[in-house]
Amino acid sequence: MTSPSNPTPLANADRGGILDREGALAKLLIAPAVFYIAAMIGAPFVLALLYSLSDATTGDPGLRLIGFQNFRAALADPVFRLALRNTFVFTLLSQTIVIVLSRVLANALLKPFRGKWLVRFLIMLPWTAPISLGTIGWLWMFDSIFSPADWVLRYLGLLGTASSLFGGQTNMYWLGIPGLAISSVILVNVWRILPLATVIQLAGLSSIPKDLIEAAEVDGASPWRRTLMITIPLTLPIVSIAFLFGVVFTFTDLVVVYVLTRGGPVHTTQVLSSWTFFKGIEGGDLAQGAAISLFMFPVLAVVAIFILRMARRTEVV
Amino acid sequence: MAKRRQITRREFVKAAGLGVVAAGVAPTIFIPRQARGASKELKILVWSHFVPRFDKEWYDGFAKKWGEANGVAVTVDHINLAEIPSRTAAEVAAGQGHDLIEWIQPTSQFEPSVLNMADVVQEAEKRFGKQHPLCRRTSYNPNTNYFYSFCPGWTIDPGCYRKSLWEKAGKGDGPVVWEDLIAYGGKIKKEQGIQLGIGLSQELDSNMAARALLWSYDTSIQDENENVVLNNPKTVEATAYMARLFKESMVPEVFAWTAVSNNQALIAGRASYILNSISAYRSAQKEVPEIAKDIYFTPALKGPRGTGFHSEHVIYGYIIPKYSKNVDSSKKFLLHLVENYDQAMYASELYNSPAFFDAPIPSGNRGYTAVKGAKKLRDLHNAWFSSDPFALPGEDKGKLAVLKDAEKWSTNIGYPGPANPAEGEVFATFVLPNMMANAARGMAPQTAVEQAELLTKTIFAKWRQKGLVGGKT
Repeated sequence: MTSPSNPTPLANADRGGILDREGALAKLLIAPAVFYIAAMIGAPFVLALLYSLSDATTGDPGLRLIGFQNFRAALADPVFRLALRNTFVFTLLSQTIVIVLSRVLANALLKPFRGKWLVRFLIMLPWTAPISLGTIGWLWMFDSIFSPADWVLRYLGLLGTASSLFGGQTNMYWLGIPGLAISSVILVNVWRILPLATVIQLAGLSSIPKDLIEAAEVDGASPWRRTLMITIPLTLPIVSIAFLFGVVFTFTDLVVVYVLTRGGPVHTTQVLSSWTFFKGIEGGDLAQGAAISLFMFPVLAVVAIFILRMARRTEVV
Repeated sequence: MAKRRQITRREFVKAAGLGVVAAGVAPTIFIPRQARGASKELKILVWSHFVPRFDKEWYDGFAKKWGEANGVAVTVDHINLAEIPSRTAAEVAAGQGHDLIEWIQPTSQFEPSVLNMADVVQEAEKRFGKQHPLCRRTSYNPNTNYFYSFCPGWTIDPGCYRKSLWEKAGKGDGPVVWEDLIAYGGKIKKEQGIQLGIGLSQELDSNMAARALLWSYDTSIQDENENVVLNNPKTVEATAYMARLFKESMVPEVFAWTAVSNNQALIAGRASYILNSISAYRSAQKEVPEIAKDIYFTPALKGPRGTGFHSEHVIYGYIIPKYSKNVDSSKKFLLHLVENYDQAMYASELYNSPAFFDAPIPSGNRGYTAVKGAKKLRDLHNAWFSSDPFALPGEDKGKLAVLKDAEKWSTNIGYPGPANPAEGEVFATFVLPNMMANAARGMAPQTAVEQAELLTKTIFAKWRQKGLVGGKT
């Protein structure tokens, strides 16, 4: 029995308070997220648009609109063009490698073996560590004097003598030679995204109905045929999501290049985000920096649309 | 058995809402009460000094003590030097933040957002004598007649060499001209396997090295009237020299040079010569004394026509953003800092040099052994560089003596003109080190110079439109 002083939930609902109206409550609860997105993403984006059309500097951030001058200046700048190309090349190369390696790892992690939890833990570690700390670790790995990788190569006789595979010099100078510096940046991007992609691929592989695989085995399909005809088509939507997430993270990343190479040697590892920072903040030309950063927007918008479409397809699967 | 009470959705939402509101409001209730304790305040943002004891044992306490004596609540925040530009930009854009911000490179791009320090400079010169010209050129815009910062000190950027290596090569007193780095540095690399370390990378020290080379080859980015004059035969000659120097005396590590590479290379015994402040040597004194004892110094190396200039290594520039509500306190503190710069020199282990050499030494206990007969900072400077108070036991105390007249061969970024914002952007986007690196990697020096000129002229034209840079071409 309920006393009159302690009304039932039904009685409250009859009063029609906002807390008991599903639609209003939903809006109320989602409001902080909407406000957060508007304040933290929407406002800076609008500001970047306005800055890119102005002559703002770090010392004078007032908005005096000058049209598309900053975009024209960016396009005429050879460093910008190199950074644009690098951004695409680094992103596509690293994410292709990530997809292949994450599939291999996910397949391995599907099988039962001793110490599987430890392997999973180690694979996830790069994702849990702050990217700046992880990259500083890699900076030491690639150091021109103290590189442990060089030490191993010297120990194996692959470096440091005239007859060595990698030459007679004492070090590889990973970040001082353009080809090696580019490879280093790509490697660190792969290392960083691989855990996320592996987990996503693992989820995709686990969701494939076992009876489908068993039926194919009964019909005599070879492992390659099973992979091509069943596994890949069924996991394609989720693999695409892993790929697109990786693209977003890598395409917009500043930390890896800033910590490892600062865009060097001679801008050969410069990417849009790092050039935005050097030009806009360190160089003081805020408007030009904003214009450079906006060149990332069309790519990111397209990727975002793809991610949303893929996510919907994955729901159907 | 008592039935557990269910929490209804209504109760949950109410409790969570109240919690969030309380968390948001609480700081505004409690924090202002604490802040109201002091009548005035002064918030200072400075870099984390390369000599750690400078911050911990001197600057922080010095600022607090001044605050206590003047009824001002002083807060000193330290950040990494690489974060100063972005932090300053953010505070200026937000219109709030620190009252005083210390930079270690010219800040001319912030001129529209900072106060004119002309009155501070005037007062300082009245009390402490003439400010060193290189300090003035990195804090004053002649086009607008505006002191965008106040410079109380700077840092010498000598050459540091390993005496034992150079003795074996037949040049025990170290290099004198740039060509010595090829003749003897190359010999050391071939015969002793130790390379030179002059950065050709996208960072601070490489920028200064490239400028030193140009000036010593009688050329520069701009002339004294801020016209771009980079593309000329002397720049091509200097760039070609750097290509030869890389080939003969260096290894590709210089393309990945960072701010700490000088220290690392010297301490690891992997550099026969570097261009750096004495901080690398001070680090070696603490970490590898046997190498520190072998490190000696040279003034600016001379070019083919006898000119020799190095860049200042660090130039201290304090700005007061226009949003500051504590302008008077900020200015008073800066004058107090100049007045006590003897302590800054000592606490930095001679890393800091004064902008006002004629400033008198205050009386009383100064925190160091008094130097007999020293009345001005100039006397202290000469005495300490002649006999280094921080020399290790058994170490040659006079090895810094060659730096006594460093102000004669040190100059500012932008020399022979002022350190304007265009020079700042050329610096920040690594135009000169990349010009040198391109040539070192095989590009024809003339082409490397032409590419650099294109970038430089674009940058100058842009800042000229804003009225912050003079010149026409």
